[in-house]
Amino acid sequence: MLARALEQVGVSTTSISLVREHTEKVKPPRALFVPFPFGMAFGRPDDPELQHRVLRGALDLLAEPAGPVLRDFPLDLEPGDQPAAPPQASGITPAEQIPDDVAMETTQMRRYHERWLEKSGGRTHLGLTGIPAMRFRGVVRFLEGFADGQDIDMAERPPDTPLPNFIRYCADDLKTLYFEGHLAMKPAAGGEEIARWFWGETAAGRLLRRVRDRLDASTDPRWKAAAFGVAR
Amino acid sequence: MPRLDRLSQIARNNLLTFPAQVNDTAPFARPARSLAACRLAIVTTAGLHRRGDRLFTPGDQTYRMIASDTPTVEIIQSHTSIGFDRVPTMRDVNISFPIDRLRELIARGELGGLGPSCYSFMGAQREVARIESETGPEVGRRLRDEGVDVALITPT
Repeated sequence: MLARALEQVGVSTTSISLVREHTEKVKPPRALFVPFPFGMAFGRPDDPELQHRVLRGALDLLAEPAGPVLRDFPLDLEPGDQPAAPPQASGITPAEQIPDDVAMETTQMRRYHERWLEKSGGRTHLGLTGIPAMRFRGVVRFLEGFADGQDIDMAERPPDTPLPNFIRYCADDLKTLYFEGHLAMKPAAGGEEIARWFWGETAAGRLLRRVRDRLDASTDPRWKAAAFGVAR
Repeated sequence: MPRLDRLSQIARNNLLTFPAQVNDTAPFARPARSLAACRLAIVTTAGLHRRGDRLFTPGDQTYRMIASDTPTVEIIQSHTSIGFDRVPTMRDVNISFPIDRLRELIARGELGGLGPSCYSFMGAQREVARIESETGPEVGRRLRDEGVDVALITPT
C-alpha cells in the first residue's frame, strides 16, 4: 500500500514481504517474499552475507519489465531454527524461587547492560522514556506503586503522553535493559530463551505481570491496550 | 515464515483476518537508471526513528525522517509489539533497516548512492486511509524532490 503510494508519484519501489498472503492481495509493484519470522526481515542479525543475499534479491526485481512481481526468496530456515514469535508471558510458568527486590535486580542488570554497551559500541534500544538507565530504580518504584494500586505518576512523563502509554514505555525500557543485559552475558541467546528467562525467573518479569493485571482490570480501552503490550 | 501453517492458531487467524487491501493491478514506474547509478532510500514500517524523536503510538499514521548518515547507534524502535521478537533488532538494526549493507553496496560501486533521508512508519496498521491519501504520497514527493530513484520498503 505504501509502495503503491510512492510508485504513483514516480519513485520505483521494491519491498520485502513477510506475509505472502497479504502481499498477494495488496499487490505492491515489486516484492520479495522471505520465509523469516517477524522481526527478521533480512534473515539473521549479524549475518551480513545472508542480509546481502536478501537485499540483492529485492534489488534484482527492479530489472523486471512489468509488474506486479512477487518472487520467493529461495531459502527456508529449517523449521525449529527460529520460532515464529517469542513465547508470551501467559505461556511461561514463573519459577518457584524468584528474587523479591526488583530495584536491586535492576541495579545488577544495569552492570550487565554497561557491558552490553561496551560490546555493542553504544548501541541500545533504551530510550523510549528518555530516563537514563542509572535512574531506573525510580522507574521500578513507579511501576511497583502502580501495580499496588496507588494513584501515582512520574515527573518525567511528558504532558502529551497518556499515563497508560507512559507505563508501556517504562515496561519496554525495562525489558530492553534486561534483554540487552542478558545478551551481554549470553551473546548467542535467542528471543525465546530470553523471554523464558525474563518471564520465568526475574523479579522484573513478575512486576510487569502485576502491572499488566492492574491495566487489564480497567474498563478504559486505552488501559487494556497498554496491558496487552506489557504482558500477554 | 511467517508461513501461516507454522504459526499458532491465534496468530494465524489474526493474519488471515487482517484487513489487507485488495488490488487487481499495481502502479509500475521502472527506474530510469541502472542500479549502479541509482539513488536509493529506505522506507521502513518497523517503527524506527532517531533517539529523542517523537515516539510512535499504536495506529499512528505519521512518519519520521531518519537522515541517511545517522549512526545506527542513534536508531531506536518504538513499535514494540510483543507479537515479534525484538532481540534481532537489538543485536543488529540491519535486520530491518539494512543501512550498513547499502553503504557496502555503494562502496563496491553496485549502488549509486543514498538519498539524504530515509523514512519510517509504524507497522501493523489496520487503518491506513491517512497513509494512503496523505502521509504516503507526501513521503513519495519528498523522495522525488530529493532525487531518489528507488525506495526499498522494509517491514518489522
